[in-house]
Amino acid sequence: MITFAIMREALSAVWGNKLRSGLTVLGMVMGITSVIAIVSTVEGMQSNMEDVFSNMGQNTFMVTRFGIVTSWSEYEKKRRRKIITRDFIEPIKDGCDACEDVGAEGYANSNIKYGSKTMPRVSIEGQTSNHLAMRDVDVFRGRYFSEEEERGSKNVVFVGQDVVEDLFEGEDPLGKTIRIRRLRYTVIGIADKIGSLFGQSQDEFIYMPLSTLRKNFGEQGRRVNLVVKAVSRDRLEEAMDQTRVVLRSKRHVPYDEEDDFDLLTPDAILSFINTFTRAFRVILVALPFLSIVIGGIVVMNIMMVSVTERTREIGVRKSLGARQSHIRSQFLYETLTLSAVGGLFGILFGMTLAGAILSWMDIHTPTTMLAVYLGVGISTTVGLFFGIYPAVKAARLDPIKALSFE
Amino acid sequence: MRLIETKDIWKTYIMGAEKVHALRGVTLNIDRGEYVAIMGPSGSGKSTLMNLIGCLDTPTSGEYTLNGADVGSMTDDQLAVIRNREIGFVFQTFNLLARATALHNVELPLIYSGDPRDVRREKAIIALKKVDLGDRMTHQPNQLSGGQRQRVAMARALVNNPSILLADEPTGNLDSKTSQEIMALCDRLHQQGNTIILVTHEPDIASHANRVITILDGRISDDSVLTSGEKTRGRVA
Ligand SMILES: Nc1ncnc2c1ncn2[C@@H]1O[C@H](COP(=O)(O)OP(=O)(O)OP(=O)(O)O)[C@@H](O)[C@H]1O
Ligand SMILES: [Mg+2]
Repeated sequence: MITFAIMREALSAVWGNKLRSGLTVLGMVMGITSVIAIVSTVEGMQSNMEDVFSNMGQNTFMVTRFGIVTSWSEYEKKRRRKIITRDFIEPIKDGCDACEDVGAEGYANSNIKYGSKTMPRVSIEGQTSNHLAMRDVDVFRGRYFSEEEERGSKNVVFVGQDVVEDLFEGEDPLGKTIRIRRLRYTVIGIADKIGSLFGQSQDEFIYMPLSTLRKNFGEQGRRVNLVVKAVSRDRLEEAMDQTRVVLRSKRHVPYDEEDDFDLLTPDAILSFINTFTRAFRVILVALPFLSIVIGGIVVMNIMMVSVTERTREIGVRKSLGARQSHIRSQFLYETLTLSAVGGLFGILFGMTLAGAILSWMDIHTPTTMLAVYLGVGISTTVGLFFGIYPAVKAARLDPIKALSFE
Repeated sequence: MRLIETKDIWKTYIMGAEKVHALRGVTLNIDRGEYVAIMGPSGSGKSTLMNLIGCLDTPTSGEYTLNGADVGSMTDDQLAVIRNREIGFVFQTFNLLARATALHNVELPLIYSGDPRDVRREKAIIALKKVDLGDRMTHQPNQLSGGQRQRVAMARALVNNPSILLADEPTGNLDSKTSQEIMALCDRLHQQGNTIILVTHEPDIASHANRVITILDGRISDDSVLTSGEKTRGRVA
């Protein structure tokens, strides 16, 4: 009962001094807006990255010559490794019973042309025909190439959404012929949209049979990464071990030497990128917290001024029987109200800002409630933390001194 | 019945190295239903005594019993409860909340006694009607005359049915006509059974009371009951 009445006193004090309240709210809004904006943006980028990586396929891993290279000397060392070719596919299939399927992919890039239009430096992947089943890439329209087409090194391509947009502009690409290095390829299928990563679209690609890449792009088409899919998530480790054993023996790695290849899971790549971006994220998130602290200090200062200005009011309330806890609550509710309003606007502005940034980066992940929880949490904490001192100060005022305050 | 009982009350302020004795041993009894005026020169300790009686402050030494309860040993919160239930203050400067309506100002003590909203409203309206301000309830202090403001303050002081009405120079900021209105109200409240203690410099005002206590230099120098003859003379003087 008393609580509600005191809350009402606090509200009418907030409402009664709109300029002061406005300034306090502003102090909060700026800090919370920046925190929410940045945290939601970072979160959006993160979940986007996870989305994109999940496209690599569940339960799959890659066998690569270089793995993740983080230094020049490491590169120098790995450069001496034997290359990986598709010849390892069959041995792994034979020697790994935890593996469901094994494929390979080789890489190139080139300008591609359709009619008079050119798209520069598009990433081209040669793939074995089992690739689509192993990766979580979906067919949007048309089809992926068949085993026969792969075996026969046919000039057929399966293209990403960006290629469709840039080259065909509304025309139906299926059955059309594009040119890559003067050779003609027939478009047989289009992939579903994937999205973008670090502001870079993942939909700008062309897939063709690996044998076709080998035939038309030469030596480049011989160096591949192997893609291995385990029969289940549980047997992923087992599949990796078996693959390792097969490869070591096939590549004649002495028992006392390290592998001359690297196995990469999507998780490993993701966690590598995460460690790489962690510092960046920490700074990005820490900076606006500074502005929260500054905002909080602004709030505290305004409340201190308010306590001083209202010394007489506090004296009157005390003379009428207000206890310390009543006065303290009233001032705390005032600060909390102001910071809650500030938090609300901060959440609103912050999420809008984050949405704008993310869509500018071409990231379209659904927003989560994180920003809301964070905004509410921060504004309450700031309200309590920076509100308690002025409130206690008000509550402890001596009634007589307060009453005779000029 | 004894309402106020003080025994050798001292109030000493320490100002740096110097000690200021605002009260130097005040012993005083006031019964329920009395109408007391406190007089004395400026700086003699009248306000200090009022603040002590009103439980806004505690004595440096001495005993103070209010309604049988020992005030000297009370905590801050207990004093607040006493102020809320037993004391009604009226100040020279009114001390109304500027942004609140008359009604809300009168409701304030009831907030702290925990009355529900509708009860607060009801009691406040009754109190305002008692001081003839039934038609000014939604006015803010700056929309009221000085006399009206002081009447709002008196309604606020009375709304919780306190044992004592304490008024420190209630007419100090009012012209003589308005002062007489306020004093007429005091007289009426006294007739209705309220205990009233007021501080004043003016004999004219003091003559409304039944008993005049004079303070000089922190001590009671005179404590006399006014006969009806003196009251009449006082009013003429
Ligand atoms: N907080 C304080 N600190 C120091 N001295 C004080 C304090 N309050 C009052 N005094 C001193 O105590 C004495 C009594 O003050 P008090 O206010 O009670 O006088 P008063 O009789 O009400 O005077 P007035 O008629 O002018 O209102 C004065 O000398 C005053 O200076
Ligand atoms: Mg005084």
